[in-house]
Amino acid sequence: MALSLSKQAVLSKIVRFVLLVIIVFIFFLPIVSMVVTSLKSMSELYRVPPVVFPRQPQWNNYIQAWTMISYERFFFNSVVIAVFFTVPCIMGSCFTGYGFSRFRVKGRNAIFMVMLSTMMIPYMVTMVPLYLIISKTGLIDKRALWILFGIQGLPFLIFLFRQYFSTIPFSFEESARIDGANRFQIFFRIMFPLVQTAVIIAAIFAFQWSWSNYLLPVLFLRGEKVTLAVKLATGYVDQKQNILHNIGMAGIVYYTLPIVIVFFALQRRFISGLLSGGLKG
Amino acid sequence: MSRIRSTSTIARERRISFFIFISPWIFGFLAFQVVPIVFGLTTSLTNQMAFTVQRKFVGLANYVKLLSDPEARYSFLTTFIFTLSHTCLAVLTGLIIALLLEKELPGRGIFRTILYFPYMIPLIAVGWIFRIFLDRDTGFFNIFLMKIGLIESNIAWIGQYTRGSIVSLGIWMSGWSMIIFLGGLSTISDELHESARIDGAGYFSRLFRITLPLLSPFAFFQFVTSNIYAMQKFIEPYILHPKQQRGGQLTQQRPPRETFFVMTRAYDTVFNRNQYALGLALLWLLFVVILIITIVFIKLGGFVVYSETEERG
Repeated sequence: MALSLSKQAVLSKIVRFVLLVIIVFIFFLPIVSMVVTSLKSMSELYRVPPVVFPRQPQWNNYIQAWTMISYERFFFNSVVIAVFFTVPCIMGSCFTGYGFSRFRVKGRNAIFMVMLSTMMIPYMVTMVPLYLIISKTGLIDKRALWILFGIQGLPFLIFLFRQYFSTIPFSFEESARIDGANRFQIFFRIMFPLVQTAVIIAAIFAFQWSWSNYLLPVLFLRGEKVTLAVKLATGYVDQKQNILHNIGMAGIVYYTLPIVIVFFALQRRFISGLLSGGLKG
Repeated sequence: MSRIRSTSTIARERRISFFIFISPWIFGFLAFQVVPIVFGLTTSLTNQMAFTVQRKFVGLANYVKLLSDPEARYSFLTTFIFTLSHTCLAVLTGLIIALLLEKELPGRGIFRTILYFPYMIPLIAVGWIFRIFLDRDTGFFNIFLMKIGLIESNIAWIGQYTRGSIVSLGIWMSGWSMIIFLGGLSTISDELHESARIDGAGYFSRLFRITLPLLSPFAFFQFVTSNIYAMQKFIEPYILHPKQQRGGQLTQQRPPRETFFVMTRAYDTVFNRNQYALGLALLWLLFVVILIITIVFIKLGGFVVYSETEERG
């Protein structure tokens, strides 16, 4: 009986492993397709029957993808916007999450529910009128707007910080209060360092959000200031306005790379942090 | 007396601190949500266009116009079909992957990371990757299906199944769903499975009697949030456009009827046709629809979702 049980366990492991390998393989196909396409020559791009692997990898596409649109400018724009957004977003979410977790105040839960239900508001319902308002005030084309967008935090991150703070016992703060520290000293010296994992998760989320966001930059930025999301959405074109898919894919590879690096560098803490802290409430 | 005063000052201090700490959110809520929403709602009741000088109050005329326009109604229908298929398939994929990853397995962490990863890729990038991947003649998807013998001739996925090809993006990005289910699975105690196993329950009877009921709150949470997000798809139809695009602004070429989702239509109405009021009215209609669907869902959820407290009480 015991033997057959362990045999069963081994068998189930093998079956699950094989199924997962198949799924991973299928999930990888679009990525492979992206990389391979970025290395094709123009004539290989549309050849029928299709060319699976380019005969000669066209590394030149990667140079073209950079120089054709002065990539560094838009890359820089995206980085600036992401930093302008991410830092205030972490602070705002952390502050608000702390507030919701720590102060037993009348009406707190009602306000928290309002905060969560703002997730239901379609973003265009707020963003399109906001654009109409801001375009009148002349604040258009100002990167500083992203600091303001960031400060309010993201509902999910506020929720996450609240979860993390509520796992910290009250006694931590009480002893500091007896020593005469005020609320902000307690927050910055004691509480903030204790939620490092949540800060990492928030940083990745906020950075990813701003890096991939299309609507805000397309509404609020113009010409030279637009981000990669806006620039790459249109694709690369030649003089006859034909879309150059191979160079476009090379541009997309550059665009995805920072996320890949950040994600894989921090993935262990990111995923286990999400699993342990964020989702159990 | 002094004691009462001191507790009330503590309470007041606490209330003030509370509002100071949540003030970043309150600021954003007022400036970026309440004000634009009120402005949008009032504008939707006027005849405002891009260059309207004499703004006039027209009541619900814009809403009546939209509700009596079969094309606008079709936008809602196709958005609804998309949302339903997107949510079901993405949640199901996440569930299956999470169940496969549930217990000890060599390389479990690596699988988890890799399968989560597509969720991190920016949407614009995913859109372009799939535009190439699903291409009729040169796309890897058709090549793959031919190789394993599932299809015999190339299929124009984006041309024939435009809506379906946008759903496929959601399936690929189901890593979020997987993580939520994994979090859910970790709350189920091993003893429950162990005792059921001793009683002779096989894998599938344990799956349907224990695991899935206990996961239902997590599935429910995803249904609610995923529906809300899916109904707001706007940029994908422009990228996965059946016609070969030309350069210029991406949002100039209107997507086909099947993927002219409500958000896409609203964006087109406001920015390409300059009909501000009409577009804002459309957004408001979508808002109301989302609200109703979410409330209905939460009400229905009470019947479907397994809850321990109910069982005990």
